[in-house]
Amino acid sequence: MPIDLNILIGGAAGQGVHSITTPLARSLVRAGARVVVVQDYQSRIRGGHIFNVLRVSDVPLAGPREGVDLLVALNQETVALHLPELAPGGLLIYDAEQVQEVPPGVPALGLSLEELLPGTQAGEIAVNAGASGAVLGLLELPVAGLAEMLAESFAAKGEEVAGWNRQAATRGWELAQKFPHAVSLAGLTPPPTPWLLMSGHEAVAVGALMAGLTFISGYPMTPWTSLFNAVAQRALKYGVVLEQAEDEICAINMAIGASYAGARAMTGTSGGGFCLMTEAVGLAAMTETPLVVVVAQRPGPSTGLPTRTSQGDLQFVLWAGQDDSPRAVLAPGSPAQGYAVALKAFDLAERYQIPVFILTDQYFADSQHTCRVEDFPARRIPFALETEPAGGVYERYALTESGISPRRLPGFGPELVVADSDEHTPDGHLTEDLRVRVQMHEKRLRKLTALAGEMRGLTTAGDPEAPVVLLCWGSSRGPVSEAVSRLAAQGVAARMVHLSELWPFPREPVLSALEGAKKLVVVEQNASGQLMRLLRQETGLVGTQAVRRYDGRPFTPEYILRGLSGVV
Amino acid sequence: MLPPELYAGIESAWCPGCGNFPMLKAFKQALAELEIRPQDLVLVSAIGQSSKFPHYLKCNTFNGIHGRALPVATGIRLANPTLKVVVTVGDGDQYGEGGNHLLAAFRRNPDLTLVVHNNQIYALTKGQASPTSDQGTKDLLHPQGVPYPPLHPLALAVAQDCSWVGRSFAGMPQHLTEMYKKALTHKGLAFLEVLQPCVTFNKVNTYEWYRKRVYEVETRPDYAPEDELWAYRVAKEWGEQIPIGVIFRKPRPILEESFPQLAAGPLAGRLPERPLAELLAEFS
Repeated sequence: MPIDLNILIGGAAGQGVHSITTPLARSLVRAGARVVVVQDYQSRIRGGHIFNVLRVSDVPLAGPREGVDLLVALNQETVALHLPELAPGGLLIYDAEQVQEVPPGVPALGLSLEELLPGTQAGEIAVNAGASGAVLGLLELPVAGLAEMLAESFAAKGEEVAGWNRQAATRGWELAQKFPHAVSLAGLTPPPTPWLLMSGHEAVAVGALMAGLTFISGYPMTPWTSLFNAVAQRALKYGVVLEQAEDEICAINMAIGASYAGARAMTGTSGGGFCLMTEAVGLAAMTETPLVVVVAQRPGPSTGLPTRTSQGDLQFVLWAGQDDSPRAVLAPGSPAQGYAVALKAFDLAERYQIPVFILTDQYFADSQHTCRVEDFPARRIPFALETEPAGGVYERYALTESGISPRRLPGFGPELVVADSDEHTPDGHLTEDLRVRVQMHEKRLRKLTALAGEMRGLTTAGDPEAPVVLLCWGSSRGPVSEAVSRLAAQGVAARMVHLSELWPFPREPVLSALEGAKKLVVVEQNASGQLMRLLRQETGLVGTQAVRRYDGRPFTPEYILRGLSGVV
Repeated sequence: MLPPELYAGIESAWCPGCGNFPMLKAFKQALAELEIRPQDLVLVSAIGQSSKFPHYLKCNTFNGIHGRALPVATGIRLANPTLKVVVTVGDGDQYGEGGNHLLAAFRRNPDLTLVVHNNQIYALTKGQASPTSDQGTKDLLHPQGVPYPPLHPLALAVAQDCSWVGRSFAGMPQHLTEMYKKALTHKGLAFLEVLQPCVTFNKVNTYEWYRKRVYEVETRPDYAPEDELWAYRVAKEWGEQIPIGVIFRKPRPILEESFPQLAAGPLAGRLPERPLAELLAEFS
């Protein structure tokens, strides 16, 4: 049986839940474990209840699951909320100064400053470090690496604080030795090439950098902000100009201006921020300016649930803007796919001179997955520009069979680049000649023909002949693929069809993937079945069943299987 | 000097007598005198009669959406600081729809010229009051007259340390050409408001009305455009006396120079090689 352990670390915001999760998760990955980390947090800076779940295994993991095997409680509320989830044989590790009551009969390790670092002023951080050391102790993994990592991450606070962290982690590890070790990771071997622990938004940021990103503008809004931050941390080093805009309207218009002038540009936002951007989506399409827009979904309508997850903006992003306009919509299902999708988005935007959307969500944005370096192949996205001198005569919107007109940059020759939001003549000047209007409108929409041929982001898993098909998109990929494997283990043949490229809709690949489906279950994180509607619109196929979630939490295999009871 | 005919654009759709005509002529003259080649110039506009300006001129153009010219222009400057960037918009566009971007531009101080054609009316939509319409202005939407006083954009600019603030009048072509030249040669955000009579929808603020009121601010014995409080008082003047000329100057670092990333040259057409292994190593 493979190892499959869920560690929940919970506390109030500001107590250090995140600051111990990452070093612990990274130590586990370095030791050779597969780890998935899911964050659950509230829209506040201090207090409230937040928790991270680390799922740890010796085999590759598709995503998170339900249940708790090791509960790390930094406050009483975490005990009250999560102790009922603790599996038989599980253990509670708690902050003995914050947690006053532990129900009798629960195997528990209380950690206090007095026991970890007697005679110091270390405070709460000692307990956090001690708890992460204790987790490694229970799993029979060495603590030295973690102790160093903690010391490093607290180095800015001085040598004394760094030392406390190192000692507390080591002492926590020792204290754990007196408890039974239900699971041992001692047999793991560290990977020859180090594995990566990466979130979806970090992977998209790396993809964007590899695609040649040089300009990004945005306005902070959860969950988009984590992507903006990931670029910001690397902007100076890699030569990306980053501007925090006064609002999302500025953010997208500024990115369009930068792209018109020849920077490789992107912007992004969430929820209401995208409502503000929609006018300029039409502008990018009309002026035929390459642009990558990330829309990180969260539940709505309006402000909704700022820090939770959703797949409720698919239909909005498909149609946002005035009239009909060409666009591509991509939605990655894993960090590796996030990297690939980012490269593809810049490539399509460049070659088709259109806005390209990357649809992510809070779950995809923040959850970290164990990845291999090989999952991130290098790729170069060249410019698609007309650079031959044309003697000053140039039509920015020349009518062509493909609908794509030769693009030039202003200031790179005597050819003038005239771009217009009004309907315009081939040379870019506004017109009310309705014959020209029809020609131009058709020219822009003709791009969709070739673009449709580039849409092939379809992944299948499970028994390819199975009559039961779970169709999903975007970040639901991991939980759905695990649900399919669990069905197989129960003797139920099923398969997954996952879409990471949604528009132009990959009609033929989808039809062929769905061949032989008797029960078509569309699994998505919205209430109305937005993919189900899109499928019917584009193929005529009607999903026979649906599993939907819209409470703001991500899918788990258990949730999907509960939704399928009675169906399969 | 370059020949002004170099900038000849397509035929205009403005009303005969429109204040935009002398502006177009004076602007071409200023460009010619400063020898700014059409290929090195980008005009950015948005919505309104004044935003058609770039079409009637031969140069690179980005005609965008209502109120959003400044963000586009700033993006262009950041992508390619070798380009001369001029925003030509109207009062309704910049002071109404695009107000937030005006505030942000004052703070950012990008090296570009912002020309606001102020006719105190929405002309394209046929005569509604604008943020600069005088109190009491009557139109279809305000049959009793606009109940509140106009915005004072120049005073706002001074209060927010805009690095160059000036005003001119479409009825004084030579003054206008000189002001265009000063604005175009200023390093940083040059905010030039031009009083531009709308001969069709604004029957109050006519050429005559402005001609009686404007005076050249440099003729004041206390002229002190580097003095913030002086400039603020002058910028607030409106009514019987309307100052034109350079009202405020405050040298400030420009936005573009705050990015060391631009030291290696424009982003335009740049495709940096990035070390994938190094980028990934951060996550191991």
